[in-house]
Order: sequence, then C-alpha cells, then structure tokens
Amino acid sequence: MLPLENVKILSFGTGGVVPDAGKIFGELGADVIKIESKDNLDFMRTIGPDINNIGQFNEANRSKRSFGVSLKTEKGKEIVGQLVKIADILVENFRGGVMKSLGFDYENVRRLNPQIIYVSSQGFGGGGPYSEYQAYGPMLSAASGVLSIWAQPDDPYPVGSNSPYPDHMASKHVVIAAIAALDHRRRTGKGQFIDMAQTEVAASLAGEYYLDYTFNRRITKPMGNRSPYAAPHGCYACKGTDEWCAIAVFSDEEWKSFCDAIGNPDWTKDSKFADLLGRLKNVDQLDKKVGEWTATLDAHVVMETLQAVGVAAGEVQRAPDTLADPQLKWDGAIVELDHPVSGKRLYPGVPFRMSATPPLKSTPAPLLGQHTEEICRDLLKISDKEIKRLLDEDVLHNPESAKGAGGGMFG
Amino acid sequence: MTKEQEGALSGYRVLDLTDSKGAYCTKLLADLGADVIKIERPEGDPGRGIPPFIDDVPHPEKSLYFLHRNANKRGITLKLDIPAGRSILKKLVKTADVLVENSPPDYMAGLDLGYSVLSKINPALIIASITEFGHSGPYKDRKGSNLVDFAMSGIMITSGYPGKEPCLLPGSPAYDAASVHASVSIVAAIYMRGTTGQGQYIDTSVHVTSRMGLYPWIVPNYSYALNPEGPPPTSETRMGASIYPVYPCKDGFIRVIALTPRQWDALVRVLGNPEVLSTPEWRDFMFRIGNADDLYALMLEFTEKYTMLELFEAGRREGVPIAPILDIADFYNSPHTKARKFFVEVEHPVAGKADYPGPPYKWTETPAVIKRPAPCLGEHNEEVYCQEMGFSKYDLAALRGGGVL
Repeated sequence: MLPLENVKILSFGTGGVVPDAGKIFGELGADVIKIESKDNLDFMRTIGPDINNIGQFNEANRSKRSFGVSLKTEKGKEIVGQLVKIADILVENFRGGVMKSLGFDYENVRRLNPQIIYVSSQGFGGGGPYSEYQAYGPMLSAASGVLSIWAQPDDPYPVGSNSPYPDHMASKHVVIAAIAALDHRRRTGKGQFIDMAQTEVAASLAGEYYLDYTFNRRITKPMGNRSPYAAPHGCYACKGTDEWCAIAVFSDEEWKSFCDAIGNPDWTKDSKFADLLGRLKNVDQLDKKVGEWTATLDAHVVMETLQAVGVAAGEVQRAPDTLADPQLKWDGAIVELDHPVSGKRLYPGVPFRMSATPPLKSTPAPLLGQHTEEICRDLLKISDKEIKRLLDEDVLHNPESAKGAGGGMFG
Repeated sequence: MTKEQEGALSGYRVLDLTDSKGAYCTKLLADLGADVIKIERPEGDPGRGIPPFIDDVPHPEKSLYFLHRNANKRGITLKLDIPAGRSILKKLVKTADVLVENSPPDYMAGLDLGYSVLSKINPALIIASITEFGHSGPYKDRKGSNLVDFAMSGIMITSGYPGKEPCLLPGSPAYDAASVHASVSIVAAIYMRGTTGQGQYIDTSVHVTSRMGLYPWIVPNYSYALNPEGPPPTSETRMGASIYPVYPCKDGFIRVIALTPRQWDALVRVLGNPEVLSTPEWRDFMFRIGNADDLYALMLEFTEKYTMLELFEAGRREGVPIAPILDIADFYNSPHTKARKFFVEVEHPVAGKADYPGPPYKWTETPAVIKRPAPCLGEHNEEVYCQEMGFSKYDLAALRGGGVL
C-alpha cells in the first residue's frame, strides 16, 4: 500500500507552497483535489501564454486532480462544500482573508466537517498586523531577515536568488504538519487548525543567527561563502563563462591532500598557509591562488581532481549538469512524464525510498478542470445531465470550457 | 486537573543518531511532541562545535547552531562501535518507534545495527537514513559539505549579485532540505504503520533532496525551454536583482515583486505616478528585465523618498507586493513577529536564558511549543538508563568508566 491511501485532500493552492505540498501528498498516495477557477487562476498558470503548458506549474501540480469550479457562484460554493464534507485535509495558501471571504475559513469548514484538518500557510501567518498581506517567496526571504545575510560582504545590497526560497522548504513543513495531525486524528478522533507563517519557516532554518541577536545582541552581517573554520571555502571560477566549482577544505590533513592534488606548486609551500589559522588569516591571498588554479580547468575536472583525494568539491550545477550527474542517474532522480499538452518533459522524481511501499511516483499535472466531471460523478453522485448544465452555466469548468482563460504572459 | 496539552506526535519515541545533517529532521519531530532522544558519542556531537557561540567562547553547551537545532530533545551518550554500546542501543530500539541516522554508507550495517538486524528486534521500527550522496552509486564515497551540497543543488548558480561569485544561503540549507524530506517520509511511515503495524526503512540523500527543498524547477524550466526547432535554453544565472529588484529607500532597502502589468501599475501609483515610469513599454515584464539597469537608475529617485514600511504598506494598499529587507533584529522586533509570539524564552542550565525561534506554526489541538532547551552532553543519562531502562547507578558508573557512555 501507499502511506496516504484513502486520504482525501482539498487543495486551495496558488504559487509554490501548497501546490508543492499537494504534489507530495499525491506521491504518497493521497487523492489530492485542486480546487481552481478559470476566473481566478492560480497565478502560476498565468506566467506563460498557455495555462496548461507552464513548466513550474506543471512541476508543482503533479499528482493531483483538478476540479474546475467558479467560487463566485453560490452553486459552486455549495458543490465545494460537498467536497469539504468528505475531505480529510484542507490545505490553502491564498492571501490571508480570502478563504474567509469565500466562506471556507476554518470556522465555517469545521461546521461542515468537524474532524477536518485544516492547514493555512500564509506568508506572514495569521494573528498579526501583516496577516492579510499578499506574499511571494522572494518577499519572505526579505521580510524574515534571511535575505539580509544572503550576500557577499561587499555587495551593494543583498539580492539572494531568483528562486522562490523559502517556498519549497515551507511546503515540506505543510506536509509534515498535515500528516502528523492526521495521525493524531487517527489516535484521538480530533481534527484541528494549523496556522503556518512562511517567514517563520525561513527564520527557523537559520535559527542560529536569531540566537546571535538574542544572546549576543549582534546583528549578523553577510558572510558570503567564507567559513569561520574552513579555508579555502568558496566558489572558484573555472574555465568557461560563469562556470564555478565549490571547494571546502576543513582540516590540515585535507589541505595537504588539496596541495598534492594540484601538484604542490610553490605557493602551497608558503608556511602561512600550512595550518587552518594561517589560511584563515591570509584567506584573500589564498582564494586568489586557488582561483588561479581553477581558472585553467573545467569545473567538472576541478571537482573530480579534488574528490579523488577526499576533498569536498562540487560543480555549481545548472540543469545540463544535473542531467549528466552520474549519481542522480543512478538514483533515477530525474523522471520523464508525458503531459497531455506539454508532452514528454523532465521533472525531479520522489527523492526518498520507502521499503514498505511500491516505488513512489508522480503523475502529470492536470489541465484546468480535467477531473471535474469524474469527481462530480464518482464522489458527489451528480447526474450527467446536471453536470452538463453546471458546465454550461460556467459553475463548473472542464478543459474545453476553460479554453482561452489566462490570456498570455502574466495576463 | 487539566492535563498539559501535548503535541501531535506525543507518545512516539525517536532515537536520534544524527549530527548536523539530520538535526533539523529530529527537531521537527521533537517540536511536534515526539520524545526525541539524541544519542551522542561520549565526546559529543560535532555540531556542538559549530559557531557562532555565546560571547564567542567555544564551549560544547554554547554553540547557537546546536542550541537551536536540538531544543526539545533529550540527550544521552553512547559509544556504538563497541559491543556494550551496541547491546544498549538494541535495548533502546525495543522502546522506539523511529530511528534516524546520517552515518556514511555501510557504517550502521558494519556495526551490525542495520535495518535487517534492528527490524528483527522491533518489526514496527521505522529507520530513516540520510547520507551525503547515497548508499550506493558512483558518488557514494564522496565528500560533501554544506557549501558543496548547496553548489550541486541547482540553486547556487541563481544565488548572489549579478556577475559575482555565486553565494551560499546562510544556515545549512542542503542538510536541512534532506532533513525536511526525511521528516516527511517518517511521518508518512508512522501514519502508514497505524494501518499495517509494520515499520520500514527510508533511504534518502542530501544530494537528491537538496534541489527538491531549494529549487526543484531547475530541470523542468530547462526541459520546457528545450524544443527541437527552437534555440537552446538560456543558461541559468544570477537574476535575483532583475526579476525581484531591490531598491534603496530612506532607511534601508525594499524588494519589489512586480510581475504582472497590474502589479506594475500599482507600483507606479505607490511611487506617486511619476511620468518617466508611466510610459507604456515599462508595463512589459520582459522589457523591464531587458532594461533592468536603466530602470534601476530611474526608480532610485522615487523609492528613496519613502521608508521601508511606508512602501510595504503602500504596496498592500495599491496591490503590488513590496517587502522590506529586514535584518535579523528587525524581524525579531517586528510587531507581527511579536503578535504571533514566534520567539519564546528558553532557559538552559549552562547557556542561560534567551528568546528562541519557536516552531513556525500554531496548532489548535496539539500545540507545537519549545518545552525544553537542547540537552547538555549526557544530561539524560540517568533519567533514561536508570529510571527508564532499569540500570543501577553502579551500572551507570561502570559504563561511564568503561567508556561506553
């Protein structure tokens, strides 16, 4: 069996966090139903010209069914209410206050289904002055304090990354919380409400810097790639354009191996680099010298040369490096899925193995409304005639009736 | 009499053999009420040596990294690579629901403590193993590190200032990505065990999980841009400054998320409808990316008139997400952080009293709270070995003297 077999999850998700959580629930065997409307699209469906052909959306929304419904109509809300009654878990990450305005906040949902587990994951979390602020990952790394130290000391200002960090860490916290709550319900019969703040996830993952403030009254400054207890420790430019290899040398023994690996050039014999304290004290000069060596070589060669002598080194990967990575190939870490619109594309697979389950797999992301009719028939026992009427009235959407929604880049 | 409210995972016991690769995994379980017993070698987890320290004094009870990631756990010492230590671990396994370890490939099996052995002692036991690169495969014996694993995760090429060295995210992001995945699979296995009664073995590595926790889109982005007739996809690089631009303001910096034309229009309103920003071409996201430097020069004049919080609030009013770039103290002191009571005071017998980041969620039925500080080295030896396992104080002294604890 699969771990979450027979568990039904309603996902009111947009962007990264709840869709990614839904994908994991689905991979673990739950029946995940994404509630979506063509008149209020998951914004990830709007970052390209076709709502059904967007890489990031189709990655995060795998392993779930799409139920297309207009939440602006009373009938639509009533149908979603029927789904709420048979769900085990509801997860949502709309802007704070939106679920309440739709009539699906915890207080209302609990009346329909007292045992439900309801997880809200907002940028800032409930119960404070910013609860209803719209938020995206890159805002939250900023507002949590983490971005302020995600930089080199001499950068004009911190820019972090163009990834949506901390979205994909917050999503795993959603999954952990929901399943722990489900297990608690199995043991006690009690549902509950969980109110997560994604800023707090980011802060929790860097907790030591907050303690540096609360214990030491020190406001941590950016450190870049330098380590207080290892040198060389950084990314070094290699042959080619924007190619880098990360190198981390901790012990003096590793330093000796490093020197051997690069052929013991004269500069490595300088006594100021002989021990850790000397290397830390002269780190600018050391980094320059290491960089002169790496600049002549491919990043992959630098990695291989150093790993061969037991020094931690890794190329700064891009997608083609990831696809060529022999360990990831060995692990089957990248999988191909055939999506009805996007065709055969590559995605990361489930990154863990569980010995008592069959191999965990994902299914392609749904088209908007792809499963509306089967969910109406199988779960809600609505007649075909009624389904057709609701589709005609635009209360429900299927891929046909959702055609033309979106309307282009960020439309 | 009211019973103290317990966490969602209360009643489960977790044996924690991890160091910094798995510390966040067991912290997540401990924060939800599991009885996590951190088992350290007699000389202590190397995580006790990770800076920063209280008052910058290196001390095994004063590593802030360790104190944060091990709060809510109990701690005992045990030497596993001698027979006496192994037999004690096997006794503990009988009482446990979960064991988490992050030793190198084959290490546990070499000690005769592999899944095949421990599952005979306790068939309901769930074991989660976190390795750096996997238990098998071409990289299995390679050396990783926080920096190296981050570099290989796919996010690093996108991190940092344009044109400069890619930049590490502070903390231990690749290890924590492995930790959250281990934790996901553990709670899933616990729930499954409620039906089957059986434990299982979970295998994961930092290398496969890091991209899933940090930037899973790197391969799909590339794959979706790869079309037989089309040009090759553009290479990933550091685009943080152009996609989510940062601008100076009166008292710091803000980050702006203006992706849609509607969000851009709102941004222009926030800045008082300046004419130079009102020309129609700026409404186009790709035009803004392509002319990021020019736009930056234009924007400064307007953003610098306001404070971070003025722009944050105006962004909400007009409909464009704008975030203040807070420093660590700003976040701690923020009225929202205070209202949610995210930081909680914890008192540690050696480290003293201070506010700690709490669990990042509030639960109505089973509160997630910090109930105890990180354990001192061997702090719960007597409690666990004597009071719970029935060893006498003489036994304890003998085991200590014999180097087992």
